[in-house]
Amino acid sequence: MTRTSPRWRWLVAMMLVLGVFAAACGSDSDTSSTDDTSGGSGSSTELPAAEITGSGSTFQAAYNNEVIQAFKSVQPNVTVIYPPTNSGGSGKGQTDLQAELVEFAGSDGVPKEEELPLYQGGDLLYFPTVAAPITVSYNVSGVDELKLDGDTIAKIFQGQITKWNDPAIADLNRGVDLPDADIVAVHRSESSGTTANFTKFLTLAAPNTWTLGTDKTIAWTGGQAAEGNGGVTNAVKSTPNSIGYIDYSDAKAGGLSFASIKNKDGKFVKASTESASAAVAGATINPDLSYDPIFDPGADSYAITSPTYIVIYKNQTDAAKGNAMKAFLEYIYGDGQEIATTIDYAPLSSELLSKAKAQLDDIVIP
Amino acid sequence: MALDLQPPPTRPSAPRLADERPPGIVVDTAFRWLAFAAGMLVLVILGLILYSTTEQAWPAFQAEGIDFLIKNDWNPAAGSYGALSFVFGTLLISVIALLIAVPISLGIALFVTEVAPSWLRRPVITVIDLLATIPSVVFGLWGAYVFAPWVLPRYEDLANAFSGVPVLGTLFNGTPVSARSFMTAGIILAIMVIPIVTSITREVFATTPAAQKEGAMALGATRWEMIRGAVFPHARSGITSAVLIGLGRAIGETIAVVLLIGSLPNKITAELFSPGDSMASVIVSQFGEASGTHRSALIGLGVLLFIITLIVGVIARGLIARSDRKLGLAR
Amino acid sequence: MTAATGVSHLGASPGRGLRKAKSSIATVTIVGAFVVALIPLALIIGYVIFRGASVINADFLTGEIAYSPRSPSGGIGPAIVGTLLITGAATALAVPLGVLGGIWIHEYGAGSRLAAFVRFLADVMTGVPSIVMGLFIYTFIVLNTKQTNGFAGALALACLMLPVVIRTTEEMLRLVPDEQREASMALGSRKARTIMRVVLPAATPGIVSGALLAVARAAGETAPLLFVIGFTFTTNSSLFTGGNTALPVQIYGNAASAFEAAQDRAWGAALTLIVLVFLFTIAARIVSALFVRKQG
Repeated sequence: MTRTSPRWRWLVAMMLVLGVFAAACGSDSDTSSTDDTSGGSGSSTELPAAEITGSGSTFQAAYNNEVIQAFKSVQPNVTVIYPPTNSGGSGKGQTDLQAELVEFAGSDGVPKEEELPLYQGGDLLYFPTVAAPITVSYNVSGVDELKLDGDTIAKIFQGQITKWNDPAIADLNRGVDLPDADIVAVHRSESSGTTANFTKFLTLAAPNTWTLGTDKTIAWTGGQAAEGNGGVTNAVKSTPNSIGYIDYSDAKAGGLSFASIKNKDGKFVKASTESASAAVAGATINPDLSYDPIFDPGADSYAITSPTYIVIYKNQTDAAKGNAMKAFLEYIYGDGQEIATTIDYAPLSSELLSKAKAQLDDIVIP
Repeated sequence: MALDLQPPPTRPSAPRLADERPPGIVVDTAFRWLAFAAGMLVLVILGLILYSTTEQAWPAFQAEGIDFLIKNDWNPAAGSYGALSFVFGTLLISVIALLIAVPISLGIALFVTEVAPSWLRRPVITVIDLLATIPSVVFGLWGAYVFAPWVLPRYEDLANAFSGVPVLGTLFNGTPVSARSFMTAGIILAIMVIPIVTSITREVFATTPAAQKEGAMALGATRWEMIRGAVFPHARSGITSAVLIGLGRAIGETIAVVLLIGSLPNKITAELFSPGDSMASVIVSQFGEASGTHRSALIGLGVLLFIITLIVGVIARGLIARSDRKLGLAR
Repeated sequence: MTAATGVSHLGASPGRGLRKAKSSIATVTIVGAFVVALIPLALIIGYVIFRGASVINADFLTGEIAYSPRSPSGGIGPAIVGTLLITGAATALAVPLGVLGGIWIHEYGAGSRLAAFVRFLADVMTGVPSIVMGLFIYTFIVLNTKQTNGFAGALALACLMLPVVIRTTEEMLRLVPDEQREASMALGSRKARTIMRVVLPAATPGIVSGALLAVARAAGETAPLLFVIGFTFTTNSSLFTGGNTALPVQIYGNAASAFEAAQDRAWGAALTLIVLVFLFTIAARIVSALFVRKQG
């Protein structure tokens, strides 16, 4: 008969279970340190430990994470979490906020009117944070400069223009050697605010050509899909003769070339933080602080400039989290605006900035 | 004379059986009920999964009806949830995977049972089982960064070579010809499915009655004839169930597929180098941000996946049970 | 005893040369199949080691998750802890329940239709795609508790592991000869004691081996964790408070990135994960080899 005693088995099992419970109920050493190591930097009072989580737009992810890192030295007890990859797209941010799984949603547009009842926590506040160009990036060897207008872009993404040396493209780019190659158009696989803003540009700039409408999800007829701005960057970078719409920061960091786009005034303007700022400055600001710089008039404006927002519930339920959220937003409207240009985002216009700061007082903290 | 006030000597107690504890029946009954509760827990969990997912999916089924399955129009923004292209995609990549994996698996199984010297058997089995332990996400990572860039020029060469040819020209083509496509997903799926199909077929081959094999050899059959004549006929239903189990695995595969199939809904085509989508893969790529009917529709796809896997598994298990009965192995 | 069909007219027949040639071709093809299967295995593991080894160092294994995919620094410490924690919790949930369930099916319910039905259900459950388990936990637990945490992930993995453990337990129990049970009962032990003192110890090595394989599979799962565990940059040793992360999730997140640094981290995490999974698999092999030696 075997010598393996069942006691040994129960002992191991017991230790496993105890170990699990010990870990589960144990201290979270890093996520919320409650030791008050006062002597914090800066003039603001040091907030108690709190953790606020966000999800959503990949368009603002690069900015958010830069700011989160910087914010940590100002408020060391506050942990802000925003997934650097797979944050999910504006749609995910909105649904997560609806279900109250996160404290804030990153979104490149404000929720639609009919979706507002879905938000279980009540009224929302929209805080624009930064703006940035949506580039039309491409990967065609030998082509460093490219000019495109809304009409041509619409036809490319609808599959009506299939080759790089199509007359429509060649006409805009006299003197550029375009290859006789198939265009691979890359779009977003998930619900994306970047898609919504890009297609909004197309409906404004090419109203008679673009038929697929504008929304976070589009019924694309062809091309390839990739997840997140990062995924599209990757796809364009690794697929010859491809073209895709990507936020400026990711396109630059990915070393991609992008086109100059014909703006409303008829000028071909290349994506940059300056041309984005020009577009933002010219946009009308709504009472809820949403604004629309897309295809706005202005000689130096970049035609596809996208706003992006942090959306939160007006009525915060937790004092510590509410204060943390407010402090984070304050930081964004302070040092955060300077950080923006260092990673290729455009800061808010002064008018927008002052209105946003004022809206901070509307947050109801228990 | 003093009274004898000593207490009377007591009888020594009867010798006790080691470990005898009077309330043994309590432990016994408690244990039995504990075991029963655990068994019922499986019932409860499975029932919960079925109920919860079906309930969540119901709004989509109601909105679309049978169109959910037969319409090829997935457009959440417009409220349309026809999932035909995903069912097609799942089946297409599974078929590609099985077409590649089954011959290879049969070959390996035959190698192990009939060809390899006995010292080589265990190492070979270990190596194939190692393939089975590689997580799906690693397959996806490797597929996306190593295989896909390597295979794209090969796809283009094939597309050029066969362009114009009647059937093959359509198959070996894509709009556009993409590294991330049905074919790539199918090939990587094949690699993932090989271990399980091999393992089952190997066991089936190993149970071929030695008498039949020896009889064939005694009659002068070559090894191949012996295999064809003695091993294959015996293993027919076993091979079928192995294929079905491989199919079940391929159908449910999610992460490797989503990284390699191209994520393009509404694509029903015979062009294998085109990007497309599958049921499991669209759930992962769209679920995060879906709400309302869109989410119901995705959960509905999950229910559909569940049911298909269930049917395939039941058939496979039925075949195994039948072949076991033939061998006299009561279960 | 019938001769195998189709091999009747043999011996020194005139076509023997051709038949031998066919058999040789078949043999070569069969060996070729094995080689063909080896190639991807070697390529995949080789490449993961090649790309991952240069990334792995002490900083990488203990460092916090990078704040941005472009960041050159950053590690997977929190992901390793998360994987161990979540998989460990899933094991603690699934193994005791699974073993007890298997005991009930084989020892108490044997022959009854209820037991046969439960066994059938356990078989069915092994085939449920892992994404469906993830969806179930998301809608049933996460949305109701309004929390994404490691425990939700542990529940999803436990649902995946449970049916496997039940089946393994049942198979191993079946291998224990009835004579041992009868001898124990004849000596006066009740059923529970018989099981705990006689049957279970005999079946334990096989059950442990099966459980280790289930753990290996669970550690590599991505889809069920994606929507339920949330996220964290730093190590979170709590299962119930705050989001967590895990190795497969980190690999998946970095896999689609355009930036070299993030891709490097994906390969490093992939190598770490493979090593972890292999360790469990090898442990399972060792345990079951001991088992075979005992029996034989």
